[in-house]
Amino acid sequence: MAETKTAAYICQGCGIGERLSTRQLAQIAQKEGKMALVREHPFLCGAEGVGLIRDDIEREAVTHVLIAACSRRAKTEAFHFPTVALARANLREGVLWSQPEADEAAGLTQEMANDYVRMGCAELKKTKLPLGNPLAATNRRILVVGGGVSGLTAALEAARAGYQVVLVEKERALGGWAAKLHKRVPFREPHADPADTGIEQLIAQVTGHPRIRVHLGATLLETRGAPGRFSVQVSVESGAAVTEEVGSIVQATGFTLYDAGKLPALGYGKTPDVVDQAGLERLARQAAAAGGAIRRPSDGAEVGSVVFVQCAGQRDEGGSHLPYCSGHCCATSIKQAMYFKDANPEVDTVVIYTDLRVPGSGEDFYRSAQRKGVTFTKGRVASVEPASGGCKVSFRDLILDEDVALEADLVVLATGQVPNSGVNIELADDDPAKAAQVPILNLAYRQGKDMPQLKHGFTDSHFICFPYETRRTGIYAAGPVRRPMDMAQAVEDATGAALKAIQAVENAAAGRAAHPRSGDLSYPIVRIEGCTQCKRCTVECPFGAIDEDESRFPVFNESRCRRCGTCMGACPVRVIGFENYSVDTVGAQIKAVDMPDEFSEKPRVLLLACENDAYPALDMAALQRRVYSAFVRVIPVRCLGSVNTIWITDALNSGYDGVMLMGCKHGEDYQCHFVKGSELANYRMGKIDDTLKQLGLETERVATYEVAITDVARVARLIDDYVAKILEIGLSPMKGFA
Amino acid sequence: MSGERYRNSFLREVEHNVEEGHWVKMCMQCGVCSGSCPFGPHWAHPPQELFMMIRAGKREEVLGSDAMWMCTSCYNCVVRCPRKLPITHIMHGLANYAHRLGLAPKNQPTRQFAKMFWDNLSKTGRVNELKLSLGLYFKDGFKQGIRNALAMKDIGLGMLKAKRLNPLELVKPHACKGAKDIHAILAKAKEIEDRRKGLSA
Amino acid sequence: MAGSVATSQTILVVGGGIAGMTAALEAAECGKEVVLIEKSPTLGGRTTLLYRYFPKMCHPICGLEINLRRLKGNRRVRVLTLAEPVAVSGTRGDYTAQIRLAPRYVNDNCTACGECARAVTAEIPNPFDYNLGRIKAAYLPHAMAYPQRYVLDPSIIGSEDADRAKAACRYGAVDLDMKEETVELKVGAVVWATGWQPYDAARIQPYGYGRLRNVVTSVEFERLADPRGPTGGRILRPSDGREAKNVAFIQCAGSRDENHLRHCSRVCCMASLKQTQYVHEAWGEEARSTVYYIDIRAIDRFEDFYRRVQADPTVSFVKSKVARIEEDRASGDVILHGVDTEGYHRYAARHDLAVLAIGMEPALRAVEVPPDLPFDASGFIEAGAGGMFGAGCAAAPLDVNRAVQSATAAALRAIQVVNKTADVETI
Repeated sequence: MAETKTAAYICQGCGIGERLSTRQLAQIAQKEGKMALVREHPFLCGAEGVGLIRDDIEREAVTHVLIAACSRRAKTEAFHFPTVALARANLREGVLWSQPEADEAAGLTQEMANDYVRMGCAELKKTKLPLGNPLAATNRRILVVGGGVSGLTAALEAARAGYQVVLVEKERALGGWAAKLHKRVPFREPHADPADTGIEQLIAQVTGHPRIRVHLGATLLETRGAPGRFSVQVSVESGAAVTEEVGSIVQATGFTLYDAGKLPALGYGKTPDVVDQAGLERLARQAAAAGGAIRRPSDGAEVGSVVFVQCAGQRDEGGSHLPYCSGHCCATSIKQAMYFKDANPEVDTVVIYTDLRVPGSGEDFYRSAQRKGVTFTKGRVASVEPASGGCKVSFRDLILDEDVALEADLVVLATGQVPNSGVNIELADDDPAKAAQVPILNLAYRQGKDMPQLKHGFTDSHFICFPYETRRTGIYAAGPVRRPMDMAQAVEDATGAALKAIQAVENAAAGRAAHPRSGDLSYPIVRIEGCTQCKRCTVECPFGAIDEDESRFPVFNESRCRRCGTCMGACPVRVIGFENYSVDTVGAQIKAVDMPDEFSEKPRVLLLACENDAYPALDMAALQRRVYSAFVRVIPVRCLGSVNTIWITDALNSGYDGVMLMGCKHGEDYQCHFVKGSELANYRMGKIDDTLKQLGLETERVATYEVAITDVARVARLIDDYVAKILEIGLSPMKGFA
Repeated sequence: MSGERYRNSFLREVEHNVEEGHWVKMCMQCGVCSGSCPFGPHWAHPPQELFMMIRAGKREEVLGSDAMWMCTSCYNCVVRCPRKLPITHIMHGLANYAHRLGLAPKNQPTRQFAKMFWDNLSKTGRVNELKLSLGLYFKDGFKQGIRNALAMKDIGLGMLKAKRLNPLELVKPHACKGAKDIHAILAKAKEIEDRRKGLSA
Repeated sequence: MAGSVATSQTILVVGGGIAGMTAALEAAECGKEVVLIEKSPTLGGRTTLLYRYFPKMCHPICGLEINLRRLKGNRRVRVLTLAEPVAVSGTRGDYTAQIRLAPRYVNDNCTACGECARAVTAEIPNPFDYNLGRIKAAYLPHAMAYPQRYVLDPSIIGSEDADRAKAACRYGAVDLDMKEETVELKVGAVVWATGWQPYDAARIQPYGYGRLRNVVTSVEFERLADPRGPTGGRILRPSDGREAKNVAFIQCAGSRDENHLRHCSRVCCMASLKQTQYVHEAWGEEARSTVYYIDIRAIDRFEDFYRRVQADPTVSFVKSKVARIEEDRASGDVILHGVDTEGYHRYAARHDLAVLAIGMEPALRAVEVPPDLPFDASGFIEAGAGGMFGAGCAAAPLDVNRAVQSATAAALRAIQVVNKTADVETI
């Protein structure tokens, strides 16, 4: 490793040179910051400025570069020096654009800039250029769990991209639900008639593909490891266990139909002539095999009239059935009504719905059914009962506003999809519901055997913009296990999941982080000899990246890590850090600030701002020239979850008058990109009051805020209000003791 | 009765016998027709509801309704219907069918007027306005007829003065030149229509 | 086309909205070379112009920030803004794309310091506010614009304003001699993520958009609710700037309508449900929102959100396609006429403002493409056998989540082409 050589570059552009003494900044960088090389430049991001830095890196062997110019979010193309450690002091947005231009403000503005240069130098000296996970693992095979349409598609699409695939299916045949269908809902123009499922061809393509290995009648006994190096024990049909080494996993375990037996009010179980949609598919397949009409189960008579009851046991407000809508069932009932109408237009087919949900070109399918004579009635079904020669359906016709009953030979209940998600790891171990659940992935992870579920048992991502981001790196949900969906969507979803699985193995092989810090080469480095086995890191990691070894020391699985630093924030003995982001890189910045004495009337407030939302909001406030107090010093953090309480106590001990933390919204609709970071920070700060009291400080000296990226006006106001509050309670008595 | 509800039977009947009746099943119950009708507030069942009633098999209620007789052919519903149903035509078709079956409300004024108009017109090949209006005045009896006539007397005298009304038409109505041909045309048209509706047999 | 060989390893992604950015980034993070072209001066697309997302009520630019950071950190994606494809020829694995680059009149010396905007006097309707507000003719599209670089509106080129902008720039970033140019790219696969555009509301005659002052579209309403928008986030009606507290939401404005768009645009129900919450947040218990609908299409767990809105006492639902809107001349109020079809109840309902939940139509127009990119009758891209793929709303009317899934899938299909391993025909 080459010798460290630091250099600071101070830009004078965008008005920095006019409103600040860059000479003074340069002197600070040199004398206090101990930068080996300090340069000022009128237009640092221009070709000449960038060339200057590049030359220094090449000719002067500079290894550490401080850019004191604009925000780290700006001019990233210009200031791209991948071979050196880099720090940015935010003089433009952080100082110039957020401070008043008036002459009398110049003093405080300069003080602010001086501090940011001090902080930048301090950070830089503690920073190392990340070199990537040295334990990078390079297995690029992909495991697909589940052999229905989703799993088959994921396997085939990954294989077509050139990757080796192992497919595990618990049944003895591939095809899943699709293999049980008579026909499928059409997925391309003219969206008029039921289409062939195509499942045989899909199965043939998978089984015939040279890069795909299939295990039937197989389940996972244990999944151990991390992206790039998963080791999976598969129990195969013969009963033997085989080990498959893979790099990433797609979980396409599908759904189970909601148990219609729980719907006696809708007649299920009271007469065989009430079936669910799967039951109707069975009847349709039997009819097709026999070459005749669909016959009702009770007496084998040809069905002359059929009623479809939508939302059976779904969209339930009473809390006893599924609360959600399975999305596909309207189109499925339309398709099934067509089974009858296409064979014999004289059959009466009535679909009773409350909202007919056929988005997109499904509208054409709906029209086609009407054209074929399927009757659609907006109504709410009260009961289905056996009646002489069939079933009696009692319902309220919501258009005609009356209670009616009609008779039908057959009733089809459109029940919903229940995801096959395995174990809900968030349930307590003694919860009887958990005991009944059978794990699927059998992860040998500290935090549980399956993926965390989001809502209603589905393994979906919480993020609208990032649907594939599960909380287990390198494991992606696809198909109805993630969200209720139809076949067309499952195909799309599985193809996307296959991409993510490919990406995961490529990232793991290169030692890079996955989303949202994609490409990040830093990784957690642990000084294990200092560890006290408190387990906070293993418990709190939002991604289940950390296991425990036999002697209960944490085991970091770097390729499972998302680099949020929650472990670093959790660690009471501060043995966890990253090369370019550590207790030291932030701690040194906190300590580098020049602390005015208690008689100066110049408080200092530390603001730790989440780099994903609060920091951009501050930047945008500056872009709009929103002025805020010159007493604040901002340090961006990867996530509020990475905030170690030592930073707070250090700050207060060294004379800061207050500490603000700005993180993302937590709770039900959390916006934290690392799931739990802001929530954990909130929890930790809730407990800091005791420390404050020990120090003889007011609890107001630490304040936590939820800030959205759009809170542009609010961030400035929060700062001003907080500084006003601090002035009200008085400066810290700790000043001068540091 | 519930046995026939929501069955194809009445919908089928409408499809076979009512002009443009095959469109009824395409309605998605959005209600834009009902809201667009300028006479909407005055009838019991707006088109969308009528279509639902047809699908629900309410034969007597539909055919005995005065609703479709209220249509003024403004076509607001037709241009706005998101499913492009020719609603105006369906309304007239339904009215016509109900009339043919003798199920239309007896004293529905539009129906009475339409019948008089037709009888009046088809007799001579042209409309005798005097006879038509007098017929209307007196449709509810002699006393009411006199009252109606007196109420309208100023307009009548005005028209007389302006030579827009010839009292002699009452005794000696003049026919169009080719009344015979008109009768032949109408007879042929009826034959074609009946055949189309399957009534000729 | 089994056995075809990609002649280029590059993937072209057309469209820099959320679908295009996703397709580009997902492919690049798999190690592929990507060119991402966007016709406007900034990435981000239409989601950037939304105030919030359903059902979380979170902010679209939060995800944009993450995507931009992914982009800044990934050198495999080359971004061209103000760039539009004019023609694409060739076959799977071997396409040639003609890209027209419109002049920005600002080069990459720009530091976004804003001096040019201060110097310029002319104003233009703000295209990033659906033209509701006005901005200087030298402008940064919005606070999250990427590239973070100003743009000069072509209307001032040749004027003194342009000279003033040039004189104000101390970094030589204003270049008035920039000309339109066309470049040619060889690529192996193309992802069309050209997105959607709101259906032309003025064509829905009975709703009076363009004639009645207080009838706006749902996309405009997003701007009215957004603190970054023309009213600073206050929901004010256009006619008189009065607070719009009683708001009507009219579903299927253009969608599910054979006179306009045949398809259901999928997002509009959820968008209106979301917007009722803007009204509630703005005016508290005084708020009144009425949703006029045919079917509420709140699929999967969106149903939870629907239920939440149903429980909101400030929101009511009427199952009715509104027949027409008239204006009360004196007050500017809108009066909606129609029939509540659940039991036949006629209404003439007065509201401060009517919001048309406007339908989505595909935005891709006037590009010469080879026949291996099939379109359906509505203009959405269907799956084909070639090396070009639709992603996001170019392929179907989709919500953001599904558009991102679609784009991720499209990225893999493109990778299959450039990996030369498509040994089975992809359909």
